[in-house]
Amino acid sequence: MKTKILVIEDDCAISELICMNLEAAGYETVAIRDGSKAEEFLKGNDAEQIALALVDVMLPGKDGFALMDDLQRTQIPVIYLTAKDDVISKVHGLKSGAEDYIVKPFEVLELLVRMEKVLKRTGRSRQQIQIKNVVINLKEHSVTKDGAEVALKPMEYELLVTLAESKNVAFSREELLNRIWGCDYMGETRTVDVHIGQLRKKLDFHDVIRTISKTGYRLEDFS
Amino acid sequence: MKLWKKLSLAAVTLLLLAMLTSGVAVIYYSVEYNQEKTIENYEQQLKYTAYSMGKELETGLQAGYSETTMNSYVDFLVKKFGAANYILLKDGREICNLTPYKLAHPEDERWREEEPYSIIQNSEKQYILITGQRISVGVSEDYSLMLVRDISGFYEDIRRQALYSLMIYLCAAFAVVILIFLITRKLLSPLRELERAASDISNGNLKRRADVHTRDEVGRVGKAFNIMAEQIEEQVRSLEQESERRRQLLGSLTHELKTPMTSIIGYSDTLLNVNLKKEQQQRALYHIKEQCARLERLGSKLMSLMGLYDNDSICIEEVSMEELFRQVAQLEEHPLMQKGIKLEYSCAMGKRQVDRDLFESLLINLIDNSAKASREGDTVYLIGEDDRIVVKDHGCGIPKEEIDRVTEAFYMVDKARSRKAGGCGLGLALCSQIARLHGARLVIESELGKGTNVWVIFEEP
Repeated sequence: MKTKILVIEDDCAISELICMNLEAAGYETVAIRDGSKAEEFLKGNDAEQIALALVDVMLPGKDGFALMDDLQRTQIPVIYLTAKDDVISKVHGLKSGAEDYIVKPFEVLELLVRMEKVLKRTGRSRQQIQIKNVVINLKEHSVTKDGAEVALKPMEYELLVTLAESKNVAFSREELLNRIWGCDYMGETRTVDVHIGQLRKKLDFHDVIRTISKTGYRLEDFS
Repeated sequence: MKLWKKLSLAAVTLLLLAMLTSGVAVIYYSVEYNQEKTIENYEQQLKYTAYSMGKELETGLQAGYSETTMNSYVDFLVKKFGAANYILLKDGREICNLTPYKLAHPEDERWREEEPYSIIQNSEKQYILITGQRISVGVSEDYSLMLVRDISGFYEDIRRQALYSLMIYLCAAFAVVILIFLITRKLLSPLRELERAASDISNGNLKRRADVHTRDEVGRVGKAFNIMAEQIEEQVRSLEQESERRRQLLGSLTHELKTPMTSIIGYSDTLLNVNLKKEQQQRALYHIKEQCARLERLGSKLMSLMGLYDNDSICIEEVSMEELFRQVAQLEEHPLMQKGIKLEYSCAMGKRQVDRDLFESLLINLIDNSAKASREGDTVYLIGEDDRIVVKDHGCGIPKEEIDRVTEAFYMVDKARSRKAGGCGLGLALCSQIARLHGARLVIESELGKGTNVWVIFEEP
């Protein structure tokens, strides 16, 4: 089952943008366009399935800060996603109980990574990720292909998880290097290419992990 | 040195000087006068004595006494007329001297005058008055009578008197100094209050006023100062309001820019990096185009708003309002028809001094707003009569608490709805600005769910 994300955002273009990206990255989304409707939704039964809420602050009806009480009652972690970039709003947002505060305009990758972090911190992250016939068991750190375990080196596993957690989103080689080997690692971007090659070979992911010219790599899957 | 100190010091110095000179003069003249009087007294006494003694001497001389008897007689006479004070001279020699003094120059010509002659001799803290005159009555011989008196007591009196005067003078001076200091201090205390008020104001406490209520020049200065402070406070407040308004405008502007920017950056980022399905890519491109169009609209609206804020490059001419209404109706007919909304207009206004383009855009903006609020099948009315124009609709209305704010730039009652309809929250700000340029004001009456009337009321100059 996919992780459900509640998107409370009044501008339809931005709302659709977020949903589009989240869906591509393997999440399910519920989009709500105004504060009062969000309040109603949170009182209903569907609210229990929500793993995380992305909330705009300036909303018609009830504003994002005012919605915090309802969100906390249903124990949904909150990330504010707003154009308000003054320190007072940030402090207010974070102090009122938000897990994170992202200022518009934001980058899709950053949003996804921050969401992933919050989900992990609150113990709501996915237990396993399935891509075609490959299942990544995040709890046991194991990867199976058609039920048979595939032996991956630690760095190969990390690389696979990073790409799979934000599937359909392109990562640059530098980004992957920074995230997996750490920013202190002095290695070359060739290291990434070598590990990607290993993953492709071991999992038969030649078509799944695509090389994007001038950017890097992307794990593609629309299931 | 402070002004009150200077003033009081000057006053004190002058006053003390005046008191001192007048005091000295008074004492000096009183000494002179008393001395003269005393001398006169003694001279008078001498005259009488000389007269009487002359008479008696004559008797003695005529009696033809022997020299010894004569000497005794003279001694007797001198004793009789006041023993210890007189010296009798004959031919410039003392013949009888019962005083404790000895005459230094008995032969002096001054003692041989008909009128008494006086000198005061000052020796060993003693003042001695010596008066002498010729005894001219009766006797033909050269007799002179001298009166010698110790008048130290008189000088002692004068000294004591001067001392008293000096003490009184010092006491008075002390009192005067203190009084003058207190009075000038009191008189100039409003100046200190003014100074404190000024420094308070310059430290930013603009509410401070000088507490000066005297009716003199200082009081007038205080009043002028307070008026000035009032003006400054007023102006600073209006400047603050203005800058606050600009700040808010800028804040809303950034927000208004950020929203489409977020979309554009987000979608292009997504298109570049994310593996999207074909139709999603189409949606993304559509959104980018939409948001760019929105930015473009915002830009041009802002430009006109800025233009209206800044210069008055407007061209006022006499325009037939009926004709203007007709033009507006023609322009609006098509877009309104597409939404299924009718426009009815009537005009009974004649000609007015307006900028044709701006006024047209004002009316079109108002009609557009009404059309956005109306449902399909509704009618929007544009009515002009006398000095007012009204745009009427039976649409959704504006909540009461928001009516005052709708003319603020970027204010939208229903953000989601007006965005969808292509608004960016500048229309009414623009309208009220245009109205203001024409010496008119915008009055909005509205009832939620029933409709809105927007009046443009010309205020007669």
